[in-house]
Order: sequence, then structure tokens, then C-alpha cells
Amino acid sequence: MSDFRKTAPLVHSVDKIDFIEPVRRLLPGGTAFFSLYGGNQEVVKLDFSFKAGSWYEHNKLESLMAASMISEGTSGKTASEIANRFDFYGAQLSSVPYYDNNYVSLLALKKHLPNLLPLLAEIIHDASFPVHEFEINRQKRRQRALVDAEKVGLVAQRTFLRTILGEKHPYAPVASPDAYNLVTLEGARDHYKTHYFSHNATLFASGDVDSSVERLVEHYFGTGWGMPGQFRDNQPDAISADEKRIFVERENANQNAVTIGKRVPTQHHPDSAGLKLLATILGGYFGSRLMSNLREEKGLTYGIHASVVSFVRDAIFMVHAEVTAEKTEEAVREIFYEMQRLCDEPVSETELEPLRNFLLGRMLEDFDGPFARSQSFSSLYEAELSVSYFDHIIHTIRYTTPEQIRELARKYLVPETMYTVIAGKK
Amino acid sequence: VQHASGTNNAFTSNDLTNYYITLPANNIETALWLESDRMLGPKFTKKGLDVQKKVVIEEFRQRNLNKPYGDVWHLLRNLVYKVHPYRWPTIGLVPEHIEEATLEEVKDFFYHHYAPNNAVLVISGNISHGEALEQTKKWFGDIPCREIAPYSPLPEPVQEEDREITVYRDVPIDTFYIGWHMCSRNERDFYALDLLSDILSNGSSSRFEVKLVKEQKLFTEADAYLTGENEPGLFVATGKPAAGVDIHAAKERMLEEILMTVETSITDYELEKVKNRVEADLLINEIGYLEKAIQLASFEILGDASEINRQGQHYQEITAKNLLEAARNVFRNGNKNTLNYLSINNRTK
Repeated sequence: MSDFRKTAPLVHSVDKIDFIEPVRRLLPGGTAFFSLYGGNQEVVKLDFSFKAGSWYEHNKLESLMAASMISEGTSGKTASEIANRFDFYGAQLSSVPYYDNNYVSLLALKKHLPNLLPLLAEIIHDASFPVHEFEINRQKRRQRALVDAEKVGLVAQRTFLRTILGEKHPYAPVASPDAYNLVTLEGARDHYKTHYFSHNATLFASGDVDSSVERLVEHYFGTGWGMPGQFRDNQPDAISADEKRIFVERENANQNAVTIGKRVPTQHHPDSAGLKLLATILGGYFGSRLMSNLREEKGLTYGIHASVVSFVRDAIFMVHAEVTAEKTEEAVREIFYEMQRLCDEPVSETELEPLRNFLLGRMLEDFDGPFARSQSFSSLYEAELSVSYFDHIIHTIRYTTPEQIRELARKYLVPETMYTVIAGKK
Repeated sequence: VQHASGTNNAFTSNDLTNYYITLPANNIETALWLESDRMLGPKFTKKGLDVQKKVVIEEFRQRNLNKPYGDVWHLLRNLVYKVHPYRWPTIGLVPEHIEEATLEEVKDFFYHHYAPNNAVLVISGNISHGEALEQTKKWFGDIPCREIAPYSPLPEPVQEEDREITVYRDVPIDTFYIGWHMCSRNERDFYALDLLSDILSNGSSSRFEVKLVKEQKLFTEADAYLTGENEPGLFVATGKPAAGVDIHAAKERMLEEILMTVETSITDYELEKVKNRVEADLLINEIGYLEKAIQLASFEILGDASEINRQGQHYQEITAKNLLEAARNVFRNGNKNTLNYLSINNRTK
């Protein structure tokens, strides 16, 4: 009955990905404006990106609190008037803090934009930081941090970042929920005033962006706003801890979280793309070495991942898993065993070919549709890379040889250079 | 699948199991080849089962045992349902249930559920209807129908008395979950109650957010939502009180806010606002082809895939009077189930 199933259908590999760059226009106020038309729903997404992430803050959490206050009141409108208007038109507004750039995004039906853009402009230009709303937001965040402090996975990852970067580094997460008691309204407002201005913004419009939408955007965001001048760029050095193995005790845990890794070169370094390929072989997809070994062969974990996390000014290689508490040492040993194996033996083409195809498929997805394209180009520009970076990635995926992969492993995956953080039961 | 540049995964809910593959359009045949092979029957081996049992037990620990508030749904379902299979979380009540599963049981479940006459296949993306049909016939046409395990669960008896349990756990903040029995997914009241839950808690201008979080500073989080299952599900209200606020006082205020919807009609403005939100959300949810495929499959299992086209209309037709009636049915005396989930640290103080 099923003889014809014995032969697999012919597999086509991804041969071409369309990297057409969005047109860049400089609005008179200094904002770079990119518009990406596409999709078949009458929906538009606007993404403002400000160089205003934790990298730029004077004190911890100012960037985060600034982002949380964007829609909490202006000199002319209360938080509830603002919320009512966005909700009434079914729009999704978000203001998200991040490590390098902070984002303010609006996702809405095109037909409501004439009613929404004046308000979006008002909150971005003129957020007033009322004290009542600030305190409520601070409490909310603090409570969430209290709950997060009970999750071994987050505890391990955050401790790991603090360990390899140093407590004071702008990319390092705060050590305790008490940090929320220290951040001030003045600090957050100052961060907003000195970072959310027109010259410091990039705007991506994606979806059903026709000329009427572009005109609206230019009308409300074309002229300059805000006050540049006190803008400052941090130049910290990362200070990694001396101790390479850290244990954070959580006596009631019945699974331990393990994070292992180190700092690696940024995306501007020629090894970066190859290193991402290497991390994928180790633990970046379901068929990876770590998943096959720790999950599919030994059943030690529900999932284990290896990746390179890229910030603009740093990059981190890391492996993370939550494992049976009693078998933590076995899991750590196996993770190092798999790293060492990549240093010792070249990867076979049989293993590499599906991996190449898999990664090309993910790349294809990154450019499928206007919202995905917008996201991809926004990350590219944020990292100050040019479109040729995508070709470089494709080339790396296609042509990196087993020998080159082994060289990269010997350069970056030597077990002795890794930091290990375990959160859980001893 | 990886060889064909794709990804695949699966999820289970109380109503269905969903396997999905996303790959470039010109590799669709690889996906159908693999899925049809899976439907014909996996290789059931003792070793394979033993490893996967360990993996799922780790999943159980990661999601439910080792995470703050991770066992809430185990407790709540058990409180709310006494008869209906919804009382079982999909992952099982305790890890021992996974440990004790035998190869025979797993096989038996497979051959009485994973069958062409019990499955829905959705293909969405850059492919014509004609080609999709032809390919489906080629790969699935010869798989025989199977005897499907009869499914006729006893309906949950009407609840006559409120229930309440209190547990103490090692969590930093007290919380509560309240569940009321409501109608099934395809009744009109479902749409009314979905809008009502939006009025109460969806967005910064919702009643909970404006009154309970911002004006009265009783909560840092306050939420209301539907479980949205195919058979009669739950209307859920939950919240975390602000620091220093007594959980029971906060809970009583939230209940008052909910009961106001039984006594006073919702205003036209609020109703229009949540309907606009639904209109936008439905359109936005149509953008991704994976989301669209999953929704189509769910509606077909519920009875009719083309219901996806009528969702907007169902919501628009709801009146303030419908809301009032639906609220009265749900928030009636005796229909309430309260789980107080308290911090063990507060107990010893």
C-alpha cells in the first residue's frame, strides 16, 4: 500500500531571498523614515526606534521606566484619556525598553490612522511623567520582578549576564527587585527628554503603507521635536568575574537551571556569522547535538538551546537548559562533552546539509511579508550594518566547510573558557 | 523537515492535538509525505517511549512544578469540574501518570484517534486549491479509516453551591483565581462574554485597569478572560494585590466590579470600543499563514471551518441586553469556584 512512500519527494533548496532594501528618506526634523509596503490586509504598523536603551542610561532602570511612562499622560491629556482613545480604535500600542534601542510601536487598521497619529505624536513628543502613574508602574514592575526571582531559568540567565559583564555594565540585569526602589521619576524623565527626540529616532512603517499614510506620517513626525544636547553615550568596559562557576541556591527547586557561555565578538567581526552557524549545530534547532544527546537520548531535559545573543556593542554565546536537579552534573558534563567534540572532530556533510537548508528557511521567513522585513531591516540598521551583511550570512550558511567550523570551535568553544551558572538545589 | 528548510512542532489542548509544519511552498510535498507517514503509524518502541516519558516529566516539572504558580490550573480544574474530562490537565494530574503509561495504552490511543476520519488537514500559503487537493489525495488517499474511540463525556452537572479552596505555596505574592461555568464555544453567549471580559480587563482603559489598578491601587495585575474551550468552559477572574493590600479585600472589590455588570447595562461607548478592538484583532490575526491554518483547523473541529468568516459578525450582533443576560447566567449564585493561592511567607508572619 505504501511503497511509494519509501522514496522521499524531491527537496528544493532555497535559491533566492529578496533583500530589496526599503527606501530611506530623511524627514526635515532629522528622523530617518523607511516605508515597506506589502500584505493584503488594511493594517499598518509603525515602529519608532530610539537610541535610548539601557546602554544609554545613567542609573539602572531609568530606560525601562522611561519606556513605561510614554503613554501615561501628556501636558494636555491624562493616562486614561490616552488609553481610551487607543483602545477605542482597537489599536495596539507598545513602548518597549531594550538593551540598545527602545521601541514605540503602533499596530492599527489603516482607516483609523487619521484619528490615532495626532495622539501618537503627542505622547512621543510630550510625555509628562505624572508621579501617580510612575509609582503604579514601579510597583507593577517590582512585583513582577519578585515573581521572576523565583524562576530558576531567569535567575541563572540574569546571574550569568552579571557574571560575564559585571554588575554595573549597562547590559547587566539588576541583581534584586529592590533596585526598583531606587529608580527615580526625575531620572526616568531625564532619560526620556535626552533620548526621545527627532534626530535620535528611526521610523519604520510597514503593511498597507500607501501615499496617504506616508503623508500623515510626514505631517505628524516630519518636523523636529525634543531637545538634543545632553545625549550621552556610555563607554563601559565589561568586567568578567574571576570565578568561572557560580551556584545560586534555591533549596526547593526540583529542576536546576544551567547557563553556560562567554562573551564573543560582535556582528561586525568576520567570525560572527560562522559562530552563529556553530551555535546552531550545537544547540540551535531540534536536531542539534545538545537536543539529540540530552533530550532525545538521555531524557534529561524538556529543551536545551545554544545561541549567540547579539547586542550592538557586545555579543554573548550561551547554552541554557533546565534539567533534573539530581542529574545537573551529568548534564553539565554532557554540554562540555559536546563542545569538546566540535573542537576535536569535523562535522560531517550529512549533518551539515540539512542544517544549511534549515537556516536558509529561517532566513526566508525573516523576509516573508512586510512586518518581518521591517523587523529584519530595523535590526540591521540598529547594529549599523549594511544590506551586504545578509549576503554574508547566506554565504556563510552555504559554504562554511567542516574544517572552518572546527577552527571556530577551537577558537571560541574551548570548555575551560566558559562561565557556568547553576540556579537550583545543591 | 529541516532538510526541506522547514520547522515543525505540535501542541495539545483539552480539545485537540495539532501537528504543524512551516516550509517553503515548493517543498509542500515533503510535509505531506511526512505527515501521511506519521498518520500511517509511528514506530512504537519501548526505548522511544521510555525516553519521551522522561522528557515529558521534565516538561511537567519545568512548566508546573518548578515555576511559581505553575500548578494553578491543576488545582482550579479539579475544583471546577467533577465529572467532565476538562478536570484533567493535558499533561496529567501527577508525573506518575506519565511514568505509568504503557506502550499498549499509547498505541491504542493513537490507533483510535489519529485517523483520516478523525483529522482535519489545512494547507495555507502560496498554493492553489487544485494542487493542494491533488497532493492531499496522493499522500492521504490510501490511509484506511479507523474505528474512532467513542467520545461522549458526561456533561458537568449544574453547580448549585459556591466552592472555595485555599492553598499555601512558596510564592512571593498572594493571588486568587475565580472560575465560573459558562457556555460552549459556539453559543451566542460566548461572544457576549468574550466582549464582557474585554470590557473588564482588556487594555489600559478597561474597568479593572482604570478603577482597581490605577484609581484604587488595589491590584498590580487584574485580569478577566475565557478559557475558550469547545465544550462548556470557564469565565476566569484573577489578580495580584498591590503590596500591603489584603487579598480578600481586593478580591471582594473585584467581585463587586464584576457583579455591577449583572445590575447595570454596559454603555454604548464601551460596547463600541470592544467591538472595534475585536474587528482589528480579527484582521490582524489573518496576517500570519500559520495562525490562519491553526484557526481554520480549530473551527472545522468545532463543526465548520467557514465559521472563521462569520466571527466578526457574531461579535457585532451582540447588544448590551445580550451582555446583561449572559452576565446574569454566569455570575449567578452557586456557580463560583474560588482558589486562594497564598504565599507561605505571609502565613508565618
